[in-house]
Amino acid sequence: MNLNIFFQQLINGISLGGVYALMAVGFGIIFNVLKFSNFSHGGVVAICAYLGYFLATRVAGSLWITLLATTLLGGVVGVLVEKLVFRPIRIKGRPLTYFFVNSITVAMLVQQFFSALWGYDYYPYPEFIKKTALHIGRLVVSKTYLMMLFISALVLLGLTLFLRKTKQGIAIRAASSDIWTPSLMGINTDFIISITFFIAGVLAGITGYFLGMTYTVTPFIGSFILKGIIAAIVGGMGSLTGGGIAGVLLGVVESLLIAELGAAVTPIVIYAGIIILLLVRPQGIAGKLYTIKA
Amino acid sequence: MLVVENLTVCYGGITALDNVSITIPDGKIVGLVGANGAGKSTTINTISGMVIPSGGNVKLDGESLLIPPQEIVKKGIVQVPEGRRIFPSITVQENLILGAYTLKGGEKVEENMQRMFELFPVLGERKNQDGGTLSGGEQQMLAIARALMSDPRILLLDEPSLGLAPKLVLEIFNMIQELNNRGLTILLVEQNAQKALNISDYAYVLETGRIVAEGEGKRIAEDPIVKKAYLGIEE
Repeated sequence: MNLNIFFQQLINGISLGGVYALMAVGFGIIFNVLKFSNFSHGGVVAICAYLGYFLATRVAGSLWITLLATTLLGGVVGVLVEKLVFRPIRIKGRPLTYFFVNSITVAMLVQQFFSALWGYDYYPYPEFIKKTALHIGRLVVSKTYLMMLFISALVLLGLTLFLRKTKQGIAIRAASSDIWTPSLMGINTDFIISITFFIAGVLAGITGYFLGMTYTVTPFIGSFILKGIIAAIVGGMGSLTGGGIAGVLLGVVESLLIAELGAAVTPIVIYAGIIILLLVRPQGIAGKLYTIKA
Repeated sequence: MLVVENLTVCYGGITALDNVSITIPDGKIVGLVGANGAGKSTTINTISGMVIPSGGNVKLDGESLLIPPQEIVKKGIVQVPEGRRIFPSITVQENLILGAYTLKGGEKVEENMQRMFELFPVLGERKNQDGGTLSGGEQQMLAIARALMSDPRILLLDEPSLGLAPKLVLEIFNMIQELNNRGLTILLVEQNAQKALNISDYAYVLETGRIVAEGEGKRIAEDPIVKKAYLGIEE
């Protein structure tokens, strides 16, 4: 691999990794608070990919307006999924397995719904940003990728500030070690959980939009969430920062390996590497040891 | 005045509280003592709205308190839970900020926080440390300070001396008296009966969900029958 291709793949990898990081954090923040692996995140990502497509082709022609609208609607979808699917079993005090099964069911339901409704067709997003690229010296960088990288970084920074500086954000972090006690401080736990799902939904909205833009929309677009889940686990469950970093790393490693080994061999190397990594360091890069029950 | 009226609580088929009535007058320390499993925590958690009773009522100045826990905090009734339950993964300062969650306005929060740092200097020294790094005694202070951050009228203390070294136990009990001197009404739940009764204006003895004795704290502490039968204290 010559140096030019290396740097180009590195930049592509970082921006792809930014999307993985969004997924890892969206997946991880629900795990932190409610302690279950939320596969329905992939379902919300898919819904948002279609929403973004619909808005961009039928409603408005602006990238920023449709991205923002998809993001906010993603948050609303996240809140609705929690209210309809998870809150009823939470109020009844069901074990974590119920949450896990429900989350997979939601992901499947969304996938089958879009399959039945719009078949297995591909829906390409309109080209907002002309496929022109920036030339930096001898490097050629896609504008779309740069934009994705910029927005992912901005959103993750904003989320970090929210979680550190607002009392609702601090309450979310507190709830990750103890969901029972915050109500003794006058904190409405249901509301905090709603905010958490809103945040996850917002992240899913951006993810869905970016994935749709990069790969075109299919009913199976939600399965990309697997990369985010891997990043969350490698980063360390319970550590959002770890998940974010692992997401970027995963994107970079993937891009570099594809350039070097080809798209067929790369997943084999990555998945094998992850199994070995977790054997050596089961808590992930930055995680504390958690007993993951579901 | 906080009044618990004929409270009955059942978990599944088991009766945890059976017709319990307690009165907590303003400005007093009321003790609630009894062995493990007598229903002390259930009583406190029902007042806090964490447990829904199957019968009876809790009233503050005649107004029913059967409302969600976060609303009860807004009425000025705050619990310091058993086992402290401070948040280990956020800083001391952030723990205190959450204690003031119901307050409006950052200035009041900042003012209360400074007051807590005066009351518990060690918390000020460690304000940027994670709650989980504090010792047991410091965590108990943090739990009390966190509860005080919302300017409560009535403090419900559940086993504040649990797991503390004797010297710290003394310190915590002195602190409770000091808070009461400043006008705070206190319901003190303790297994450490002797000490709790000594500082209580009035006390109730709970056994398997029923009130079996009540009276002035010091009198209960000295009653040989109560001591032997219910508190496990032999002469």
